[in-house]
Amino acid sequence: MVILTVDGIDCYYGSVKVLENVCFSVKERDFVGVLGPNGSGKTTLLRGISRALKPHRGVILLNDVDIYALKSVEVAKQMAVVPQDNVIAFNFTALDIVLMGRHPHLSRFQMESEKDIAIAKRAMELTNTRHLAERPINELSGGERQRVIIARALAQEPTVLLLDEPTVHLDINNQLEIMDLLKELCIKKGLIVLAVFHDFDLATRYCDSAMLLNNGRIFSIGPIETVLTGENIKKVFQVNMIVKRHPVTNMLYIVPLSTSRSKTKPSKDIIVHIICGGGSGVPIMKTLLEQGYVVTTGVLNTLDTDYDAACTLGIPVVNEAPFSPITKESHKANLAMIDEASAIIIGNVPFGYGNLKNLEAAKVALERGKMIIIVEETSVHRRDFTNGRAQNLLRELKSKGAIAVESCREALSKLQAL
Amino acid sequence: MTTTVMSANEVETTYFRRASRWKLIVIVLAVALTLTIILSLNVGFAQIPFSTVLNIIAKRMPFLGNLVDSSNVSYVEETIIIQIRMPRILAGALVGAALAAAGVVYQGIFKNPMADPYVLGVSSGAAVGASLAIVLGIGFTLLGVSTVPILAFAGSLIAVFVVYNISRIGSRVPVTTLLLSGIAVSIFLSAIVAVLQVIAGERLHIIVFWLMGGFSYVEWKDVLAILPLICLGTMVIYFYARDLNILALGEETAQHLGVDVEKVKKLLLIFGSLVTAAAVSVSGLIGFVGLIIPHMTRIVIGPDHRILLPTSIIVGATFLVICDAVARMIVSPVELPVGVITALSGGPFLIYLLRKKKESYAI
Repeated sequence: MVILTVDGIDCYYGSVKVLENVCFSVKERDFVGVLGPNGSGKTTLLRGISRALKPHRGVILLNDVDIYALKSVEVAKQMAVVPQDNVIAFNFTALDIVLMGRHPHLSRFQMESEKDIAIAKRAMELTNTRHLAERPINELSGGERQRVIIARALAQEPTVLLLDEPTVHLDINNQLEIMDLLKELCIKKGLIVLAVFHDFDLATRYCDSAMLLNNGRIFSIGPIETVLTGENIKKVFQVNMIVKRHPVTNMLYIVPLSTSRSKTKPSKDIIVHIICGGGSGVPIMKTLLEQGYVVTTGVLNTLDTDYDAACTLGIPVVNEAPFSPITKESHKANLAMIDEASAIIIGNVPFGYGNLKNLEAAKVALERGKMIIIVEETSVHRRDFTNGRAQNLLRELKSKGAIAVESCREALSKLQAL
Repeated sequence: MTTTVMSANEVETTYFRRASRWKLIVIVLAVALTLTIILSLNVGFAQIPFSTVLNIIAKRMPFLGNLVDSSNVSYVEETIIIQIRMPRILAGALVGAALAAAGVVYQGIFKNPMADPYVLGVSSGAAVGASLAIVLGIGFTLLGVSTVPILAFAGSLIAVFVVYNISRIGSRVPVTTLLLSGIAVSIFLSAIVAVLQVIAGERLHIIVFWLMGGFSYVEWKDVLAILPLICLGTMVIYFYARDLNILALGEETAQHLGVDVEKVKKLLLIFGSLVTAAAVSVSGLIGFVGLIIPHMTRIVIGPDHRILLPTSIIVGATFLVICDAVARMIVSPVELPVGVITALSGGPFLIYLLRKKKESYAI
């Protein structure tokens, strides 16, 4: 059983402390993602583990042996590194480069044997680069080059594989291929794979566990779904994210919304209430939030896309049970919320008997002197399922002073008049 | 699909044959060097028939010597060949080999095609040492050896030592700092050489000639002095040929592949400087060889240092022997400085290769 233990390391660049008290342990067949903002110490951690930057404090044990007590050639037989930048001086062929991975296994005057070439060949087959063997490395595309570099690392026949953003130069197809390969090696050969990622989706798709670094410390570590939570990411990256399981793949996926920094923009203190549903409200809510408005919404059915969005964005919402018409209680609560607002925006939502009450609420609001903006991206009669009642209500609203616009942006410019 | 696999297999077969191909290249080039040396023995002011030259050489060979009839060889001819032409030609070969080897090493370590054996101040250190010896009096000898090569040798090693220690941070030596401090120290030392030239008076022309480089005054004892140094140095460098390959991937990656980067770098710098210093001490400053020979060889033969290094050494030796022969021949009886010939011939040839194989120049 191969175990890599990092025990309380502090790493410095000059006098600047870049890593502080990093502790963790990984064993064979672990596929660990290292995540964190720029400058959080991800690459430094890999450098520390790979014997390139000696920690001032703490030890790194590979199978209970301090790697800094070993010769670099001994470490190289067990640990391979795929670095971030791969500037290669002189035009070696791809096969030359992969064969360099055999260096730790060769004595000083030994030429590469048949066995070494077979190993290099297999590594190139695995990374789908065998046809590139004779090509000069500096004439390959970024993706081909990266796959050759990974083949070189595999030719080392390591038990620990460290990768610094291995997929950063690759297109989506190559990304998945390389990640599939790494995953397979991890499971079949019992490798420890420790990889730095900036791509959350890839990390969540392939990693069993992850560590989230922030300012040189481990912010969170454990199974990927406990580490990559919206909460953690928001704190570390200062970005609002939606973290969800995808309905089709059942994989975690992450969608960034906006940086939390831009949210701290001075609020305009203007409350806008949005009447929406079926996803018609999402762009409006997002735009208004970004512009610093205070947004409320209702009445929305739980499970509605707009309801989810409102929850994720932290917007107060009056909700109703799934697939249920709006009850009197909800309607009342909605009216109370509307009372607080200075303006109401009616989204491009289809109307049925279930949500017709929302239009009546808008009518009440108009009578109480609120500004009403109706977004009509598609003609009303196409999304009226109430035998014309919704159309009548909307027409009445317009005749009493509601402003009809054609897009969310137009609605915003009308709001700015407030 | 089948064809792809076939060609991939062919690639691997050629890889297996690589070792024997490399041997063949080295043998062919070594034969070419030997022939060049013999032919160049025929070049010089005194007209000595080629048959006589062969006769004189054969006489010195073990076993072969007894079979040769040397009755028609005059003592003067033998002296000219053995005591005057032979040492300078061998010195030319040794210096060419040393400069080319050092050039390969420095270009490898610095991963820079502009690097040459003189980047660490070897040349300017030697220039200060030699100029000093000349200004202080050329007649002065130490243990029977002229002070000029001794002080040149000492000066170059001191310069490299200073450069190395300026750039050292703890146990690490970053190559960029090394390059920059090499330049700084060189500029400083060049100024000192300029001062020495001003105060040299009538000896100025000796300094100027030394700085241009040449083999006019080379004797057997000079050859024997540098031979062990250059052999030892190039051998040590060759031990680390594969490490030099891996250094091309960057120092950190080399470390990851098990190369003890700082140790290897230090050894290569020390022995690269040693062979350069030895070369410069007898020949003065011959430019261009250490810069272009590794380059040209790399373009033709590829970047693998295990073959690049021996090939460059032999090609460097051959090149300098030819240049020296041309320098003696071209405006005979006056000798041109050999550095002029290296630059005049090497420059255009390198340009030709670059134009022809532009893509291989990519570093």
